[in-house]
Amino acid sequence: MSDRNLYSRKATLDLKISEFEVPPMLDLLIIGRKAPIGPEAARRMAEALSPEQFTLLRMDHPKIEAVLVRNSVLRMLEHDLLTNIISEEAENLLLETMVLRAELKVTVSVRREVNLR
Amino acid sequence: MKVDELISGPVHTISPEKSVFHAAELMDGQGTDTLVVVDHGVVAGILTSRDVRSSHPNRIVADAMTPDPVTVSPDIFIWDALKIMDRHRIGRLLIQDGNTLAGVVTREAVRIKLSELMDPLTGLYREPYIRAIGEALLEKEQPFHLLFVDLNDFREVNKRYGHPFGNDVILAFARRLAKWAKETRDFLYRYGGDEFVMISTAEEETVDRFIRTISRPLDINRVTVSAAVGHVNGLKEPRFFSMPFREMLAKASLLSTCAKADGEEESGNAGVFSPV
Repeated sequence: MSDRNLYSRKATLDLKISEFEVPPMLDLLIIGRKAPIGPEAARRMAEALSPEQFTLLRMDHPKIEAVLVRNSVLRMLEHDLLTNIISEEAENLLLETMVLRAELKVTVSVRREVNLR
Repeated sequence: MKVDELISGPVHTISPEKSVFHAAELMDGQGTDTLVVVDHGVVAGILTSRDVRSSHPNRIVADAMTPDPVTVSPDIFIWDALKIMDRHRIGRLLIQDGNTLAGVVTREAVRIKLSELMDPLTGLYREPYIRAIGEALLEKEQPFHLLFVDLNDFREVNKRYGHPFGNDVILAFARRLAKWAKETRDFLYRYGGDEFVMISTAEEETVDRFIRTISRPLDINRVTVSAAVGHVNGLKEPRFFSMPFREMLAKASLLSTCAKADGEEESGNAGVFSPV
């Protein structure tokens, strides 16, 4: 009885709060052929959270089944150019069971020669 | 002979947002290896046990299924079903009767059924095949040529050289017939020992040319063989569409016997006999 009175059990909580990104992904989602989330599920998720902002590109690649791309990226780059870059760069990084997310920054450098007044 | 004869059991459906894990449990519970994926009342795909095995169980069915399944009517012939599966490189067909999903037919079921209809020596179909084709054409009132091709004195070949050699001759002769036949217009089968039947929708001149070719003595495996052909011409036969196919076949067979007799009288080789 006395032992029970001395015994105490406490828990410590750590709470971290940060802003939820909508959708919880960046510019690209690279989906492996045997990933637990398939292309259609990823497309539906993105469509539910950010309607009409992402496009699913199916890939003819041994490891990569599809890429979900933010539409704004596709407005700047050709589909083929983008999928070729992804194929080359993700080749060594990706296992077919994985889903990778990627951020794509496009920096435009402009230099013009103009006539002075 | 129609594909609806091969439908096995009821159709089990699943919605595309269910998990592959759930689909596997459903398959086990229902004792089926095929689920039809239905999205808001519309058929969206087929999910097979093979799809389930090759997909992560967490995936949704939409990511594991084969989309846009090929649908056929229940009254197509099983050999046509196989051609459709070959053309699309698929293993299953959905059978749709009007707006109702009647069932699923597998390539395996079609192959087993076709092997029952096939002559093991020549690889040609047997009698139920040509009967089904003939009756279907008669029903559609589409004229055709029915040819009964009978090898002459084949018994002598067997007697002189033995039955294995006779089989070689039959096989070589069947190959010659098959080489001439075109898939889109001719249907060929082996009726009996040395008898073959062909339904042809080719032009009359083409059929006549074929009959002349096949009636001439042919050198097969260093033995000269010839054939007698009985010809029922759907373009000329007065009561062609009112004649039962069985009767038409009997007529073609008797005409080949007449051709044989006439040919033997004339030149020692049997020829062609057409009644009209």
